[in-house]
Amino acid sequence: MRIAGRNPMSHRHVAGIVFTLPLLVVWFLLLILPIGQTIYHSLTEWNGIKSSWIGLTTYKNLLGDETFWRVLANNGILLLSVPFAVLIPLIIAFLLNEKVPGWRVFRTIFFLPATVSWVVIGMVSMQFFIGEGVLNNILKTIGLGALHQNMLASANQAIIPLALTFVYSQVGPNTLILLTGMATISPEIYGAAKIEGAGFWTLIWRITVPLLRRFILFSLTITLIAAFTALFSLIYVMTSGGPNYGTTTLEFFIYQRAFNLGQFGYGATLGVVLLLVMIIVSVIQFRFVRFTED
Amino acid sequence: MDSTAGASGKRIFIFSVLVLVSIIMLFPFYFMIERSFQASNQFRVHAGGFSLVSWQILFKTLPIFRQLINSTIVTLCAILIILGVGTSAGYAFSKLNYPGAKAVFYLVVGSMMVPMQSIIIPEFVNLAGLHMVNHLYSAILVYGALGIPFGTFLLTSFYRSIPNDIMDAGVVDGASYYGIYRRIMLPMATPALITVAVLQFIQIWDDLLVGLLFLQTPQSRTITVGLATLQSSHITQIPVLMGGSLISALPAALLYLIFQRYIVSGLTLGMTK
Repeated sequence: MRIAGRNPMSHRHVAGIVFTLPLLVVWFLLLILPIGQTIYHSLTEWNGIKSSWIGLTTYKNLLGDETFWRVLANNGILLLSVPFAVLIPLIIAFLLNEKVPGWRVFRTIFFLPATVSWVVIGMVSMQFFIGEGVLNNILKTIGLGALHQNMLASANQAIIPLALTFVYSQVGPNTLILLTGMATISPEIYGAAKIEGAGFWTLIWRITVPLLRRFILFSLTITLIAAFTALFSLIYVMTSGGPNYGTTTLEFFIYQRAFNLGQFGYGATLGVVLLLVMIIVSVIQFRFVRFTED
Repeated sequence: MDSTAGASGKRIFIFSVLVLVSIIMLFPFYFMIERSFQASNQFRVHAGGFSLVSWQILFKTLPIFRQLINSTIVTLCAILIILGVGTSAGYAFSKLNYPGAKAVFYLVVGSMMVPMQSIIIPEFVNLAGLHMVNHLYSAILVYGALGIPFGTFLLTSFYRSIPNDIMDAGVVDGASYYGIYRRIMLPMATPALITVAVLQFIQIWDDLLVGLLFLQTPQSRTITVGLATLQSSHITQIPVLMGGSLISALPAALLYLIFQRYIVSGLTLGMTK
């Protein structure tokens, strides 16, 4: 505090508060206030103009709403794809880390789809999976035409193309994150293990995974968050949530209820549920980070 | 000798796998280019015909230039908000530690986990009440607000890595806190500014939900929203949609190719600090 004489600390504090003000104004009006409104309106019946207090009625109704449970089940199925969205990039990053000629070009290419909107990825993916699409043509060409089917038209199967497209979209970012992590592992460790005759899987499981814990956890977290909150465009383009709620997730359900049916109060209740899920995810992740750092 | 032969065999194998993955990752781009030069997708699954018809239809059905301009305005203005607000607050959080600065910082960063869908309903009602819907500035404000927690986090982390001595030297020289921000802190943060700008550009340019709700007229839509609504109308031919997709995908992809190294640092800074 050697400068305190010329510039009183209070001066610095006032400046600090002034420099934070623009952030606080935008942040409060456009992020914090709406959270409060969402929570308040989750306890009302609301059409955007008129709202009437109904307490916990919507929450109670949710528990008996079959569609709501179907939607949560869809979120559950998508959760099952999360490990693959980390494991596949882990293997790709491991191969990239062998630094064969041209590995930098490969690295550049692998992230390229992640720069494209999921609206676009979803449209291409749809053309891949539909009845007369690329996949069924490949099957026909190689003599497996009997497997021909239109998964997107089936309420029970449509979520499979969705999950596959989601995993595909996560390959780029996760590969990049894990590759960055691998750069922190000294090559001598691998050298020593190879001399002792360790194979590909042994190297991955015994050396890479333990040393990459924090990076893997980070990848898992962002993938988990994406699975719950970032699939809107993919669903909108590929299935619109159908057939028959077969691909409606919580985030899409909010949109449908509020903006297709005008049930803003119901949508707000779902918004609170989604917020709770994200808080749980964050707490678990935070615990894990502390655990792995101990 | 034997082991080198084995090693090069292994490297050829790895190279082949990486080539295969590249083909899969490039498939969407190949597909968009190939399809957009076909006249119609119907009854012509294996069609090899080359046609510009779909491109002509595209420019007739979609106000594509208008929507590209909208996308550019919305994305750049939102980035300006995020950078402006984020750098000044980041500077305050890291160098002007006033009482409570830490708590405010954690609150702002913590709001990163609030999903857009949990706030979008009141947000829409509020801005609609102010008659802002269908004006670009509504989407600009919402995108700006949504990007602030992450942007502030990244910029604050960056400012923390700048030694306090630089700050103190400026104070001793009689510079004002604004002067230090403007002449020292802002220029030094250029790499972090680029990282935030590139990551947010991809995010905002590619987003659908906010644009879909806040920009509902064809003339006000962004290109991503324009495409999605064109597709959901189910009357547009696939080759036309693929042409539009290609155009919409190019700006963010090119930006990535130019600034890729900033993306690598930005993606992982979130966890190392």
